[in-house]
Amino acid sequence: MVETLQHLMTGFGAALTPVNLTFALIGCILGTLIGVLPGIGPAAGTAILIPLTFQLDATGAIIMLAAIYYGAMYGGTITSVLINVPGEAASVITCLDGHAMAKNGRAGAALGIAAIGSFIGGLVATILLVVVATPLSKLALSFGPPEFFALMLVGLVLVTSLAGESLIAGVLMTVLGLLISLIGIDPVRGAPRFTFGIPELYDGLGFIPVVMGLFGIGEILATAEKPYREVIKTKLSGLIPSRDEWRRSMGAIWRGTGIGFFLGLIPGVGAIIPTFMSYIVEKRLSKHPELFGTGVIEGVAGPETANNSYANGAMVPLLTLGIPSSPTIAVLMGAFIVNGLTPGPFLFQERPDLVWAVIASFFVGNVLLLILNLPLVGLWAKILEIPYQYICAGTLLFCMIGAYSINQSVFDLWVMLGCGVIGYLLRKLNFPLAPLVLGLILGPQMEKSLRTSLEMSAGDFSIFVTRPLSASMLALAIVILVLAALQFAPKEIRDPNAD
Amino acid sequence: MKRGWITASGIFLMLFGGAVYLASKLAFLDTLGPGPGFFPLILGVLGAALAALLIVRMAREPAAAVADATGDAGPVDTLIPDRAAMGRIVGIIVLLAAGILALDPIGYRLTALVFLTLMLLVLGVRNVVAIAAVALVGSFGLFHGFYYWLKVPLPIGMFGI
Repeated sequence: MVETLQHLMTGFGAALTPVNLTFALIGCILGTLIGVLPGIGPAAGTAILIPLTFQLDATGAIIMLAAIYYGAMYGGTITSVLINVPGEAASVITCLDGHAMAKNGRAGAALGIAAIGSFIGGLVATILLVVVATPLSKLALSFGPPEFFALMLVGLVLVTSLAGESLIAGVLMTVLGLLISLIGIDPVRGAPRFTFGIPELYDGLGFIPVVMGLFGIGEILATAEKPYREVIKTKLSGLIPSRDEWRRSMGAIWRGTGIGFFLGLIPGVGAIIPTFMSYIVEKRLSKHPELFGTGVIEGVAGPETANNSYANGAMVPLLTLGIPSSPTIAVLMGAFIVNGLTPGPFLFQERPDLVWAVIASFFVGNVLLLILNLPLVGLWAKILEIPYQYICAGTLLFCMIGAYSINQSVFDLWVMLGCGVIGYLLRKLNFPLAPLVLGLILGPQMEKSLRTSLEMSAGDFSIFVTRPLSASMLALAIVILVLAALQFAPKEIRDPNAD
Repeated sequence: MKRGWITASGIFLMLFGGAVYLASKLAFLDTLGPGPGFFPLILGVLGAALAALLIVRMAREPAAAVADATGDAGPVDTLIPDRAAMGRIVGIIVLLAAGILALDPIGYRLTALVFLTLMLLVLGVRNVVAIAAVALVGSFGLFHGFYYWLKVPLPIGMFGI
């Protein structure tokens, strides 16, 4: 523990330098902006903004992108409360009581308690991340290729089983993502695969253009189906909740923190489930459940806290095991890879300076978000007055810049456009996109682990079941699949394309 | 929805079938163990089997059950957007494609200027001053920010602007 605290202090030293503090601040502002703007989800928003970090060192770049991520997770609240339109999927539930509070003249209190709850949830989840990070990464260091393969399989199975309405479609999307990830030169033998003689395909399909297409362009095309909303003008006053509202919110905030963090540890859960679960828990515990939906502050405090606690909790599997638990976290993983880093236990050994600076920046970012969101909430509300057509055109342009600038390649732009059309069609048909994206990013590592394992055993598949850890994880994957097949997860709280 | 899922699954079946064919040309095993065709072939077969399963399942189920299973309770024709929406969607795709084609030859600034102007018109904006302002900021303004401040290389094009 002493070692962890020493690392954390060093991390704070790096995170609190004026430069990194500025990056965290810019990230929080941009993230909140993405969250505020309906039609741009956190995955696409984070991917679009990656080019902004090209000139930064790896630590600064990751700090900024992580801040964009958790900023976006908060920003969605503002639109949910003020105009009944969630800025991102995790804020859907906040519309119920948050907007009702706004209609009752308590919009300020709803946004105030959401900001404070998010702060507490984010802060506690980051403390828990600090506590579990070192032991988990040390445990993961004892993993060999079979264990890593089994672990990634568990992650993919979890994502698949929770991602959509049809298990077969979920598995199909995972397999498609894995297959697409194999395009390019085989890293072990150097043989080209699925490249059709196109030189641009030798390095494979770029992850960022694919994500921008699936989530950014796909989302804009889906939004273009509906008539654009009118310009919205809102009034806001009184951000501090009353004494009674405080008393009612505190329990919800602590429960939301626990729910968000622990569900964040499970790959595939996504941000929407913790918020719904927190709402359901608050409603069950309430003496007046019939009032939920009419502007009850616990209905805002719990889910909003769970949302941010989840956002920080989801960093645990990414940083310690290298397993992204949602498309947005997969984009963050992509940003690590763009910067020449592979998240996972080895990163704690090879670049402890970077990992702990990023973790320390989560504390800093949560404070910055509180400062930004309480006094500046009126400013964010003003942004809602921008007509959506301008935001849409601007987002498309940013997608073009983002996809192009990674390799200065027009080919990546075609990939983005193609994936945008595919993403739009898959969205229309309710095929889940999250398993595809996670399959895409985990594919190369999964293949490497599988092939190395089989090389170790001279082609004997029993290596996966003779090693206790690997066998346990494979058994877990089978159990999850069977449970999913039995429709274990409650259907009504699943949104196939929620983050 | 049912027809849409069957069509999509059919396309997936062809895709995975193609992957199986291409993977079968690569070495499945070699002296070191699994070859480059090993993982793609397994995935291709698995994907093709799942796509076929989906087709069979969808074909057997009544349309209402398919709509329920896929999370869509609306009628089949809700899959196709109305004329105005289709116009916007096609407009966005065509303008993006044109922008991609123009980017390298004429450079970012001119491409973005025309792209933003036309895109805003397609999306229904008619305020000429606002269109001009957004197009100028998005083209010359963003270029300056990305190229000179963030050192992100954007294409200059044959006209040098």
